Amino acid sequence: MSITDLTSMGEPQTELQREINERLCKLQDEISDYCYQCAKCTSGCEAHKLLELEPHKIVALLKRGLIDEMVNSDVIWTCMSCFKCRERCPQKVAPVEILFALKNLAVASGKQIPGNYTAMLQSVLSIGLLQDVKSVTTRDNKTKSRSDLGLPEISKPTDPAKFQTMLSKIAVEKV
Amino acid sequence: MSNKIGVFVCHCGINIASSVDVKKLTEYAKTIDGVVVSKDYKYMCSDVGANIIKDSIKKHKLDGVVVACCSPRMHEHTFRGVVEAGGVNAFNLEIANIREQCSWAHDNKERSTKKAKALVRGAVAKAKLLEPLETSKINVTPEALVIGGGISGIQAALDLAEEGHKVYLVERNPSIGGRMAQLDKTFPTLDCSSCILTPKMMEVANHPNVELLTYSEVVGVEGSIGNYTVKIKKKARYVDMDKCTGCGDCIAACRLKDRIPSEFDEGMGKRSAIYMPFPQAIPLKCTVDAENCLMLTRGKCGTEPLCVEACEASAIDFKQKDEEIEVNVGAIVVATGYDLLDPASLYEYGYAQSDDVITSLQMERLISSSGPTVGEILRPSNGEKPKSITYILCVGSRDETQCTWCCRIGCMSALKHVYLLKEKLGDDVEINVCYTDIRSFGKGYEEFYRKIRGMKTNFFRGRPSEVRNVGDHLTIDIFDTTTNKLFEINTDLVVLVPALVPRVDAADFARLLRISQSPDGFLLEAHPKLRPIDTFTGGIFITGCCQGPKDIQDSVAQASGAAARAANILSKKELEAEPLISCVDEDLCSGCSTCISVCAYNAIELVKEDDKSHAKVNEALCMGCGACVASCPSGAMQQRGYKDKQLSPMIEESL
Amino acid sequence: MKKYALYPGCVMPTEQYALEMSIREVLPLFDIELVDIKGFSCCGEPLKSVNQMLTLTLSARNLAIAEKEGLDVLTPCPICHLALSECKRILDTDPAMNERVNKFLQDEGLKYTGQANIVQTVDLLHNVIGIDKIKEKVKKPLKDLKVATHYGCHLFRPSEIGRPVDSENPQEMENILKAIGAKPIDYPEKIDCCGGLLTANLPESALTKTGQKLQKVQEKGFDVFIDVCPWCHRQYDAKQTKAGETVAAKLEVPVLYLSQLLGLSFGISKDKLGLDLNLSPVDKLNLGDK
Repeated sequence: MSITDLTSMGEPQTELQREINERLCKLQDEISDYCYQCAKCTSGCEAHKLLELEPHKIVALLKRGLIDEMVNSDVIWTCMSCFKCRERCPQKVAPVEILFALKNLAVASGKQIPGNYTAMLQSVLSIGLLQDVKSVTTRDNKTKSRSDLGLPEISKPTDPAKFQTMLSKIAVEKV
Repeated sequence: MSNKIGVFVCHCGINIASSVDVKKLTEYAKTIDGVVVSKDYKYMCSDVGANIIKDSIKKHKLDGVVVACCSPRMHEHTFRGVVEAGGVNAFNLEIANIREQCSWAHDNKERSTKKAKALVRGAVAKAKLLEPLETSKINVTPEALVIGGGISGIQAALDLAEEGHKVYLVERNPSIGGRMAQLDKTFPTLDCSSCILTPKMMEVANHPNVELLTYSEVVGVEGSIGNYTVKIKKKARYVDMDKCTGCGDCIAACRLKDRIPSEFDEGMGKRSAIYMPFPQAIPLKCTVDAENCLMLTRGKCGTEPLCVEACEASAIDFKQKDEEIEVNVGAIVVATGYDLLDPASLYEYGYAQSDDVITSLQMERLISSSGPTVGEILRPSNGEKPKSITYILCVGSRDETQCTWCCRIGCMSALKHVYLLKEKLGDDVEINVCYTDIRSFGKGYEEFYRKIRGMKTNFFRGRPSEVRNVGDHLTIDIFDTTTNKLFEINTDLVVLVPALVPRVDAADFARLLRISQSPDGFLLEAHPKLRPIDTFTGGIFITGCCQGPKDIQDSVAQASGAAARAANILSKKELEAEPLISCVDEDLCSGCSTCISVCAYNAIELVKEDDKSHAKVNEALCMGCGACVASCPSGAMQQRGYKDKQLSPMIEESL
Repeated sequence: MKKYALYPGCVMPTEQYALEMSIREVLPLFDIELVDIKGFSCCGEPLKSVNQMLTLTLSARNLAIAEKEGLDVLTPCPICHLALSECKRILDTDPAMNERVNKFLQDEGLKYTGQANIVQTVDLLHNVIGIDKIKEKVKKPLKDLKVATHYGCHLFRPSEIGRPVDSENPQEMENILKAIGAKPIDYPEKIDCCGGLLTANLPESALTKTGQKLQKVQEKGFDVFIDVCPWCHRQYDAKQTKAGETVAAKLEVPVLYLSQLLGLSFGISKDKLGLDLNLSPVDKLNLGDK
């Protein structure tokens, strides 16, 4: 009949849950239903001690369909993509991939992308790389550029216009 | 050849009748050429049904019967009996499976009925061509073989011996006793394991009906139910069993004393090259380890082997050789036990990186008063008393990347350890248990768990990601889902409770006996619920952990069950052999031997008669699997009851 | 002569020049030709959090560009290596996704066909070139230099899709280092993460991860910290002082790329290997020509 989470008054979002599960199954052959909450992922999570990310809880909330709670949270952005959870899980669940799916969902639903991601995205759009060529400072405080060091010109998309057209099409794609 | 066929259609309640129009089918059958009578009934397998068939046979002088009913696996045997009681040869019966292969598979009544008609048509066509067959008798050798001398094998051997059958008990280690001998106490009663095991060991060793063959292995199995011929290799101990008194002087004198890791102590202690696995070994004789003994590996041991010098009974004989014997038995009970998963395959738990990370069985040896530390709990790295001991359960169990199954005894043995450690070390030692679920399912188990909960143990519900060796101790981060907090455990000694796995050579062993393995590698039972002790190979039974992880009481119960199943065969003078086996048309056979190469039962041989070679089937060995028939390029090999000339018309008529 | 398309990624060609310099010096010694191709872009992995479709497409287009030249791909950056490898795995096994992605690539006239194989520097050195050949080139053995290795998470995880080295106990770098006379020693924190990818939105936390690991390395008395990934190296080398500040420790650990240390043992000059670009105290090591 109905299931309600009394702390958030949220109900399971089965459609969204199904969408995320399908994506995980398709891309990583992962089925989050099989998680039995042993918390081996959280025990070893590189982001847990510092940032309180609990990968097993993310999986549990996904199993309950309480997606919004996670999409609207800041904690999903604390994952450092070390893949240890995916590696060590005894049931082949990959919390890291669930987090990617949730982050993608947050971006697609118009939430503000935290930190530098927007700048990185803009840079890729305009020059194809996350950042442009920099001059660096040596240990003894001299400035060197790429050409100073005898390195060849860097590789960038040869036709930026076509490249950008392609990227703008992807912007609205869901996996 | 039959000319007068009776067709009997079963409704099977509504199982068949709801999807197949049984009345129409019965009417239709009457119209098939060769059918003189066709009847239907609600439950043809009942007494009433049987009488209908028998009466019809008498009344219409039938010489062939078709029963349209459920799968032959269900009642073919029943109906053979009915038909024979009615006066027709039991093998002039053909079953048309209109349930599993028709009514249960389809829901369109019109099309189901049409299909059922086709099936009955085919069955009648075949029934007309069936030949009467006689069951041959197999003599039963009333002796049994039990492979494996652990508690399960010992129990099976005792039960069979008590029944009056001679039993060969083969054990590959120098002593019987198995895993139970390695334990200190057993859960949940905390009985001393050796104290309850050794009386049984003595009983089986002394039983007049038991021939104990220790340090021996089964190397060949031929034959079939009632008549197995088994080759057993008795490995050379290099010790004369008649002369050795088990005094142990040779062990103390050995040049390699305390140098070789002891298998019985799971590597926690060392032994000599000549050794007795444990003090209560049966037989109480020494054995020379041929892989380490200097005399056997290098041809010399100093100026003279010290063991020979020390042995007052002159029992050591380096000239001994392995001996192979052959025994005949009617049934075989397999009780070969289990191994532990090597935790090094979960590298993150540090088993390979620290001496202070051990398995539960290794801890069992430390706890045992007959163990390498005489029952003192000491850290392997420095020999000191640990201040903190941490258990990690489910190491490699319930794990899709290792062993998918639950080891069944891990939780209870860990709880047992907690009790014993608290008893030995008091509250000086902190004991932590990291678990995923505590499975305390058996009689008295929950009560035991409750007791341990009351004993100041730190239970953490969660699975650690890794165990780190930080030099002088180990550190474990564990997220405890009960409090939702991450704990850092700094501990001296980590005990991993690993998965239970089939013996390393289970696959080869299964092939030797021609039994199957389940996907997890343990030996396969015929049916998980109703036939958990039988295998698909007649006369071979499995018991104990070789079939799947289980505790001692289940191993003992299964052993008695296996003994009963085996006694079922051994108590008969003869068995009836199914005559539906292969036979050779010698005129057509060219002697190409293709059939011999595919026969899994070694039941076919090539014989030469009048300058011509042809295949010959040993009817006692043939299991009627049909592989030879399928492989025969000339059609010379046929299977009685399923000959090509019987099957072709069946197919034609069905279509 | 074995030819590879050099796929540089983003961080190496725009900032981590020492990696590029040392690779261009060392690999040709083993008859490896690094082919520069125009048209590459970011592999997309750092943007996976934003839109994974973007990542897949960007990786696919880079592979397609290499395939056009009929070359296998050498990528020095483990993050790029993971992105390209995962892309290859998905597109080679999921025809529907393959079609979708290739549709996007049509705009630039590219097509992913799955022909290109992908290698990283470590497996190239260890498996393709081989330890014996590396040993032959050593002119100045490193005299038992105590080395702490850092592979970088993306080089060895997630093992289920196939990575160049083992995920729990990688020893390839150790074998290479032993061949050049160094003394690599395992340590409990060996496979801990540098925090690099967190720089995008939580730079302080990233530095904390970096500092925590380096602190342990320093405490254990290692002579040098060797890494292969430009993201990791940026944390451990360029940001070492800041990382030290976040964990309240004074960090003075020499940090070098594997290819730089190799080059030094082969007798290549410090300038050519970009040693002056390392901001960590590498002079402490007293290696190479003055």
